Amino acid sequence: MRLFAVGISHRTAPVELRECVDFTRRGLESALSALAERKVTREAVVLSTCNRAEIYASAESEAAADSCSRFISEFNEVSWDEVAPHVIVYRGPQAADHLFRVAAGLDSLVVGEPQILGQVKDAYAMANGLKSTGALTNRLFTSAFSVGKRVRSETGLGEGAVSVSFAAIALAKKIFGAFTNLNVLILGAGEMAKLTGVHLKAQAVNQLTIASRTFETADAMAHDLGGVAVAWSAVGEALANADIVVTATGARDPVLTRGRVEDAMRRRRGRPLFIIDIAVPRDVEPEVGSLDQVFLYNIDDLQSIVKENLTRRSSEVERAESIVREEVTRFTTWMQSREVLPTVIALRERFEAIRVAELKRLEPKMSSLTPEARARVDEITHLLVEKLLLSPTEQLKSTGDESLAVTYADALNRLFGLTAASRREPEPGE
Amino acid sequence: MTIISVLPLLLYAAATAAYWAHFATHDKRTGRTATALLGAAVLAHTFLIGMQTVQGGYAPLVGTTAAVSAFVWLLGLAYLYVELTTDERAMGAFVGVLLSLLMILPALNPQTEARPPLLRSPLFTIHVMSMLFAYASFALAFVLGITYVLLFKEIKAKHLGFFYTRLPSLQVLDKMNGRAVVVGWLFLTCGLLVGGIWATQLGGSADPRAQAMGLADPKILFALVSWGTYSFALFARRAIGWSGRRAAWLSAIAFVIVLLNFVPIGYFLTRSHNF
Repeated sequence: MRLFAVGISHRTAPVELRECVDFTRRGLESALSALAERKVTREAVVLSTCNRAEIYASAESEAAADSCSRFISEFNEVSWDEVAPHVIVYRGPQAADHLFRVAAGLDSLVVGEPQILGQVKDAYAMANGLKSTGALTNRLFTSAFSVGKRVRSETGLGEGAVSVSFAAIALAKKIFGAFTNLNVLILGAGEMAKLTGVHLKAQAVNQLTIASRTFETADAMAHDLGGVAVAWSAVGEALANADIVVTATGARDPVLTRGRVEDAMRRRRGRPLFIIDIAVPRDVEPEVGSLDQVFLYNIDDLQSIVKENLTRRSSEVERAESIVREEVTRFTTWMQSREVLPTVIALRERFEAIRVAELKRLEPKMSSLTPEARARVDEITHLLVEKLLLSPTEQLKSTGDESLAVTYADALNRLFGLTAASRREPEPGE
Repeated sequence: MTIISVLPLLLYAAATAAYWAHFATHDKRTGRTATALLGAAVLAHTFLIGMQTVQGGYAPLVGTTAAVSAFVWLLGLAYLYVELTTDERAMGAFVGVLLSLLMILPALNPQTEARPPLLRSPLFTIHVMSMLFAYASFALAFVLGITYVLLFKEIKAKHLGFFYTRLPSLQVLDKMNGRAVVVGWLFLTCGLLVGGIWATQLGGSADPRAQAMGLADPKILFALVSWGTYSFALFARRAIGWSGRRAAWLSAIAFVIVLLNFVPIGYFLTRSHNF
């Protein structure tokens, strides 16, 4: 049985091609069953996200990987010439290495992003539900899950926000804890203001208030986001009630002056106020930041946080890589022992059969011996067989190199005529 | 110095080291080790106090050293309770330092002092236990306040780093600080009242210490000053909205008064509480 992975990802293919190669469009079930109909793979799992389309499979023949590559083009109705230059094939331990890196978030567009592990789990659950997995893929994916988990808990690869909106949300969480009682005020009704509004709304804030110089645009945005619009003249009042203020107006002069915020703070009785100024030019006077209990962040501040977080993530890559290496070694060892195990068993059975047959053949000649002497003969022949087998068995099991182990197993199969027995598939967990 | 009297100190110190390691690395296993070590320290300490109680026939609360030991024990218990109910370990690093430093005193001087006739009153035990409970709560408020200020400064200065990734949110720290001050204030008030009643009962005693019970004694004076400070903190939070950074500073300053009163004044200056 050979393990392999084929597919395209954001590293190998441009977005135009990735959009066309999407197994989820016609449903993963139909992709898995179409693949099963080809009868080239024993086990198969299809992983399809916006950044990758990959098949992890096991098969008897070397050619199965090519067949799966072609399947990617045929199933998605994209010409082979277009797909071929971008497809990558991973074989044996390389396939495990690739999947483990994917599950760890090392192969993601944004290194360490957390969704991918869930997507890998879903892909496996889907294949498992359709009974297209087996001993090899089961072990491969369970190992991948534990790699993902270990990387998340033992390294900082997924820590820290890596987009401006999430950096702002993470900051708000550090200041206020929960969002449920918070009132948010958005000044401005442009694209940026709306985008931030959507992100904040997703955090289930208590109330979303929108103010803009033209009431109609604010009202329209409030309608879209499920908030309330207030007149520009009522901003002072809204400011006193807000916990988070997002400013994104196109105004040339500061909208929030120190005096205005100071006035609002007096009415807030020391409750903290978090102001996020994403407008350029800035909407908030820098002096506002020096007021007690006011936290002022502008777009540059948020961007520098993002930059720092990205640097920190990249410094964790090495630690994540070493976890992947460790697990790949463990998986590879398991895979090899699984390859040679049937040969080891067959070899032992063969020797034992010969021993028993020979004893039976000599039965008439030994009939004169005492029961003790016969037991002794039995013991001596048994020890002889054990000693003869000891060294080859150990050699076979401890070979570090997969291809060498397969060669050894092949040679033994041929020399001792074991082929029939070695085809036996070990059960999962054997 | 026997092993039993030094063991709690060693375990507190080990727990503190583990809490700092957890604080720095964020490793969950280290965090659990720290909690286990602190649990072991409190257990060993319980054993020590229990043994002293059995030997002496009374709770070992006589003298500042014994009171410090009981205070450390209570603070350890209170902190463990907070940690288990909030699942928040970051504060352990700070509480641990306080526990370990204070525990040096009882470890150096493990003998329990004989109980003078003056103290053979149930009111004495209630007074001391209430005061120590109050101090333990204030110690937690102090640590919460300090961590609040550290985190506040980082967010305000836009240098998100060490504390930002390790501490809970400002709001949570502020709330826990407020709660700790309330609990502490209740026990302090109760302790002072019981102490006052007990002192009036001692009126006829010839003991010079009973004679010195009065506002002129620094220990009593400072206890009232700290009561005033915490009362102001409670009032300011509710009536004029002094939460957050101001409340944090206030609880830190008030605890410094408590600590000064507890150790240097308790050892060297008081004439009424020098048991």
